[in-house]
Amino acid sequence: MYQKIGLALAFSPRMEALIAEAKRLVDLFDGELILIHVGVKTPELESRLSEIFDKHCSSLRRVKILWKEGKPAKQILETCAEEKVDLLILGALKKEGLLTYYLGSVARKIIRKANCSLLTLIEPRLETTAFSQVVINGTQLEITPKVIQRGIDFSKKVESKNVHILNEIKMYGLVMGTASEDSEDEVSGTRRKLVQDEIDYVEENLKGLDLGDLKINIKVTGGRWATELARYCEKINADLLVMGDDRKLNFFDRLFPHDLEDLLGNLPCNLLMIKS
Amino acid sequence: METLNHKEVINLLLQLASMLIMARVFSEIARKLKQPAVVGEILAGIILGPTILGMLMPDFYASLFSSHSMTNIALDGFVQIAVVLLLFIAGIEVELQVVWSQGKNALKIALASMILPIIAGFVVAYAFPEFLGVNINDRIVASTFFGLAISITALAVVARVLMDLNLFKTKTGLLIIAGAMVVDVVGWIVFSVILSLSESGKEGLGVWPTIGLTLFFTVFMLTGGKGLINRVLPWTNKNLAWPGGLLSLSLAICFLAASFTEFIGIHAIFGAFIIGVALGDSEHLTEKAKEILHQFINNIFAPIFFVSIGLKVNFIEAFDLGVVGVVVIVGLLTKYFGAYLGARFAGLKRNKSMVVGFGLSTRGSMDIILGLIALEYGMVSESLFIGLVILALLSSILSGPLMGWAENLKLSPSSK
Repeated sequence: MYQKIGLALAFSPRMEALIAEAKRLVDLFDGELILIHVGVKTPELESRLSEIFDKHCSSLRRVKILWKEGKPAKQILETCAEEKVDLLILGALKKEGLLTYYLGSVARKIIRKANCSLLTLIEPRLETTAFSQVVINGTQLEITPKVIQRGIDFSKKVESKNVHILNEIKMYGLVMGTASEDSEDEVSGTRRKLVQDEIDYVEENLKGLDLGDLKINIKVTGGRWATELARYCEKINADLLVMGDDRKLNFFDRLFPHDLEDLLGNLPCNLLMIKS
Repeated sequence: METLNHKEVINLLLQLASMLIMARVFSEIARKLKQPAVVGEILAGIILGPTILGMLMPDFYASLFSSHSMTNIALDGFVQIAVVLLLFIAGIEVELQVVWSQGKNALKIALASMILPIIAGFVVAYAFPEFLGVNINDRIVASTFFGLAISITALAVVARVLMDLNLFKTKTGLLIIAGAMVVDVVGWIVFSVILSLSESGKEGLGVWPTIGLTLFFTVFMLTGGKGLINRVLPWTNKNLAWPGGLLSLSLAICFLAASFTEFIGIHAIFGAFIIGVALGDSEHLTEKAKEILHQFINNIFAPIFFVSIGLKVNFIEAFDLGVVGVVVIVGLLTKYFGAYLGARFAGLKRNKSMVVGFGLSTRGSMDIILGLIALEYGMVSESLFIGLVILALLSSILSGPLMGWAENLKLSPSSK
């Protein structure tokens, strides 16, 4: 599934934990690890990296360490493209004094422009993260069938316990508001149909997929999908949120942030972003 | 404070009761005939007003609707609040997220569907102002107003038609919805700018300060104002009664914004619309709250407004077949072809573009409000207003069957 796994290194206090997490995933997927650091290569940094590397990655057969200079986002994106990285791992930032996490401007730029999938870890651990509760964005978007398929494959690899697929009824307020012209039975029927349609959509996308031992829970909500996803992840204490995005963002997305931007500004848990 | 006397109170209550009962009866008939409620409500007003009741039972009509001037002022207050709330809910229906998700294609379709009718409407009205009944003293503004009135789409009506046809969640359906949302936003901004240019609308701060303030108000409400709402709403949801606290506060800010735009010289409804957009776009306004607001406004205030149209105009006396014919033909053709061309330009196949064309041609509420304002400002005649109402009725009746027909149309590969 992921043959080349990249890790963007920033020599932060969490670097060792990030390397440990990346190594675990490389083992699971039997892939190659590509460590990317953008900055001047100094003997001190080299020896620090080598020390951590020897501690965690000595058993890895296929590893590349790449030192790049220039603008961080641009260099990371170019390296990922050159090396044909399938999955890039990034660390999230923690808000000062709060238990909330967000993506910095470099990471956001990478997420917006990368062609490979991205895994953002909010609290990387040396003993590595268990992705036991996984939430997949099942809202009806063009990329959703792929997101569900990749999310299920990833969940099986990391041996998740429960996979929750959240689907949203689009414009529920408008739909039910216009349905209020009908009788009580018809309104209930409309409500039931809206929910059933969303369940059917997810079930249709699950057809033919090998679910292994995963327990699948389909959940339907009304409201904006990013907000509902964040709320649900917090509610069930999710370990990983899987979602997709295949749009190139522009100035208006910054002025009027769309759902993805809202999520990146306040990550509810680790995030796996699937790209088309 | 001056109050209504005993007889006036009874009269007002009877007026409201008769309007709501007639609206309910006729919207139920419309529902049985698979037509939008607004069609029934407008017909109820025509029957209850001078056109039918006033002609068949003039004494009864006079005692109900023109015996107490104070009652009529109070009723007008209700109608004003109704129209402000209708625009508020129209704003809440606009979901900027849906518009962004459909991207440039929605914008292309919406703009093409507006530009053609605005230009055609302007040219026709400017060339034949006396025939159409456009105010010759305010010719440019009144002609633009007419063009704008025939370029508007009724979002709620088209949403309902799309649901009935099972097209709501399809790519074409979402494009129509997003396009209608863009039409709403652009239409009301253009409306407020035109209104500030009109001769009769110069009671505010002057043309340029009004236009500047309008644009500032719009941008501020959709950025800073939305941010403020996003901070206040979570607190409201958590600490105040639900949905009571939310309902009363959202209506209060709607009236505040409406009074602000009325103060700066554009109509109150623009403020209500923009605050509706800002509020509706907030992630903290739950879909359940939107549903409650919809039900409350659509079933109480919307019928009062749509019935009141029939009370204001005599649809037989002021009826002019030529004017109605021109309004209906220009309105239907230009809106359809504008949206169709926009959809083709956006890369849609021919039959899907036809669905988009018929979908965006659906009128039924916002265009009538625009027409009524133009009538009240003396920009258009009663005959032209009747033409706009008939255009709204015809397009909302026809759009469902036409969209269904176009959706099922089998086209030869060469014509796609």
